[in-house]
Amino acid sequence: MRILIVEDDREAANYIRKGLRESGHVADHAPDGEEGLEMARAAEYDVLVVDRMMPRMDGLTMVAALRGDNIRTPVLILSALGEVDDRVEGLKAGGDDYLVKPYAFAELLARVEALARRRDPDAVKTRLVVGDLEMDLLARKVTRGEEEILLQPREFRLLEFLMKHSGQVVTRTMLLEKVWDYHFDPQTNVIDVHISRLRSKIDKPFPRALLHTVRGAGYRLQA
Amino acid sequence: MNNRGAAFLRTTAFRQTLLSAGLFALSSFVILAFVYVASAGMMMRRADEAIHEEMEALEERFQVGGIRDINRYILQRTVGGGADYLYLLVHPSGRALSGNLSGLPDIQPDDEGRLQFTYRRPPAGGTTETDKDDRAGRGRVIELPSGYRLFVGLDVDEENRLVGRMLNTILAASALALALGVAAGIFVSRRFVRRLDGINAVARSVKAGDLKRRAPRNFTGDELDELSENFNAMLDRVEALMHRMRHTGDSIAHDLRTPLTRMRNRLDEALREDGDIEAREQALERAVADTDELLGIFNAILSLSRLEAGESRSAMSRLDPAEIATDLAELYQPVCEDEGLSFDSEVQQDLRMLGDRGLLSQALANLLDNAVKYTPSGGAVALRLRQTADGLIEFSVTDTGPGVPEADRERVVQRFVRLDNSRTLPGSGLGLSLVQAISDIHNGIFRIDEGPGLVDGEHGPGLRASLSFPAAAKASKA
Repeated sequence: MRILIVEDDREAANYIRKGLRESGHVADHAPDGEEGLEMARAAEYDVLVVDRMMPRMDGLTMVAALRGDNIRTPVLILSALGEVDDRVEGLKAGGDDYLVKPYAFAELLARVEALARRRDPDAVKTRLVVGDLEMDLLARKVTRGEEEILLQPREFRLLEFLMKHSGQVVTRTMLLEKVWDYHFDPQTNVIDVHISRLRSKIDKPFPRALLHTVRGAGYRLQA
Repeated sequence: MNNRGAAFLRTTAFRQTLLSAGLFALSSFVILAFVYVASAGMMMRRADEAIHEEMEALEERFQVGGIRDINRYILQRTVGGGADYLYLLVHPSGRALSGNLSGLPDIQPDDEGRLQFTYRRPPAGGTTETDKDDRAGRGRVIELPSGYRLFVGLDVDEENRLVGRMLNTILAASALALALGVAAGIFVSRRFVRRLDGINAVARSVKAGDLKRRAPRNFTGDELDELSENFNAMLDRVEALMHRMRHTGDSIAHDLRTPLTRMRNRLDEALREDGDIEAREQALERAVADTDELLGIFNAILSLSRLEAGESRSAMSRLDPAEIATDLAELYQPVCEDEGLSFDSEVQQDLRMLGDRGLLSQALANLLDNAVKYTPSGGAVALRLRQTADGLIEFSVTDTGPGVPEADRERVVQRFVRLDNSRTLPGSGLGLSLVQAISDIHNGIFRIDEGPGLVDGEHGPGLRASLSFPAAAKASKA
C-alpha cells in the first residue's frame, strides 16, 4: 500500500513511516497541511494519515479541501483531542476514522489497513466467506462447512466485522468502537471474553482455527 | 519630583479630580463675573439717572431764566466746593464761565452725549492745591441753543474703586476655588490611589508566587471594597485550583512511577535475557502492556480534565436509558460469568432522559469494571435501571465484594485515591472521579452505599453504586 503521512512532528512521522515500511507499505511524509494537500492531489495514495493540528493548514481543513476536489482517498485523522465532539467534527470534515494520541503503532497499522480495505469495489456484499465459514447478511445466517452456527445479534455483528476485515489485524479498541460503538477502554478484558465466546462457537467444534490472537495487537480472522 | 509623585500625577484618579476642580473653579468664576457685571452696571446706571435728572432741572431753568440763571445756579452750587455734581458751563468761545471742573474732558462723547473721564479735584475748603490723584467721573454734555455748552457730571471714583475691588476679589476667589479644588482632589485621589495600590501590591505579590496574600478590605461595600472582595474570591479559586493541580501532579507522578519502574525493570530484564529469545519476547510484551496501562492513565486524566472543565455538554440528547443499560449488561454478562460471578440485570423500559450515551456508558462501565474487579468468585453483580419514587432515573450497580467503609466513601471519588486493599489491583484510581464528573455534567447524583449484603457468609458487605438523573418528558418522540 502507498500511504501519505501528514504530520508536523518529524519524530512521530518517522515512527509511523518506519513502522509502515516494516509492515511492507510505502510511506511518504508531508510536514504540513499545504504540502500534504499538494502531494495528495499529485499522487494516488491508498490511505492518508493526517495529524489534526499542524502549522499553515490544519488537518481538518486539508481533508475538507481534498473532499472538495472529489478526492475520496480514505483518511485516518490523528488527534491529541479525544472527546466525542472532536471525533464528530473530524468525521464531518471528511475523515474516515479517528485515532487519539497517544496510540500504539499496532492500533494505527490495523486502522490504516482496515481503511484501505474499505475502498474495495465489492463493498456491498451480501455474502462473506472466510475459508469454510460463510455469512449470509440477508438471511442473517452463519454456517461453517455444513453446520449452521447460531449467534446472538452482537456476536453476529462481531463476526461480520471480523469477516469484513479477514486477513487483517483488528484491535480491541476497533472492535469496541465499530461493534459496540463505545469510545472508551474498559479496564476489564470484555472484548477478550466476547471473542472467546465467539471462538467457542465458530472454531472449537472444528479442526482448524480461523480466529487468531495477534499478540500485542488484537485478533485476526484468517483461513 | 520623585518617581512616585510623578506616577501619582499620571493616575486617572488625580487627573479626574484635577479636571473637576478646574471645572468647579471656572463655574464659580462665571457666577461671580455675572454678579460683577450686573452690580457694576447697576451703579453706573444709577449715576447716569442722577445726572440725567440734574440736567433736566438745569434745562428747565434755562427755559425760564436763560443762561444767566444757569450760570448763577452753578456758581451758587460750586462755591466753596462740596457740590454733589460736577458742572461746567462753557461760552461759545470755549471759555469756561462757571463750574467746578477746570475744563471739559478731552474725550469725544458718545451718541447720547455721555462721557467717562478722569479729572483732578479742584482746590476746596480753602486749600489751593488740586488733588494729586486722578479721579473717575461720568457725565453728559449738551449744546444749549445759543452756542453755550453745559456739562453735568458725577464723581464715580468711589464706585469705580468698589467695582475694581470687587473684580480683584472675584479673581482671588476663583483662584482660591481652583487651589482648594486641586488640594481636595489630591487628597481624595490619594486616598483612592492608596487603596488601589493595596490591591495592586497584592496582585504583584501573587504574581511573584505568594498565593496567600489577600487584598485589603474596609467592608463598607463601596466599589473598591467590592473589587477587593471579588479579587479575593478569585484568588481563593486560583489557590484551590493550584492546590488541586499540585495534588494531581503529585498523584500523577506517584501513580506513574510504579508502572514506569515496572516497565523499566522488564526492559532491563529483556536486555539481560541474551540467549532465551522467548523469555526476552515475553518481557518485551509485558513492557508494552505496561505502556498501554500508562497510556490508559494519561487518557483518563485527559478525559477527566476536559469533563471537569465542562467542555462536553454539546453531545447531550434525549435518549432511552434502557438501551444503555441493556447494551452494557450484554457486554458485561460474559465477563462476570468468566470470573465466576452471577450477573443479573433489571431494566425498566420506556424512560427518557437527557444525556450523552457515550459518557453514561463509560460511567456504568467503570462501575461494572470495579464490581468485576473487587468481587471474589462466587459473588453476584447486578445492574439495575429504574425510576425512583421521586421520579429520578436511577442506574445502580451492586456487588457482593468487600465494599467501601462508610468513612472512605467520600474519599474514593477523589482523583487518584485508592484504598489500601486495592493498591495491588490494576487501575488508575481515576475511575470513580470520572464517574463523578460524568454525573456532574448530567446534573446527576452519584452515591456509594452499602451493598446487598452477604451471599453465603464468605463475602463482604458489598457495594451499591448509583447514579440518579432527572427524567425528561416521555411525550413527543420527535
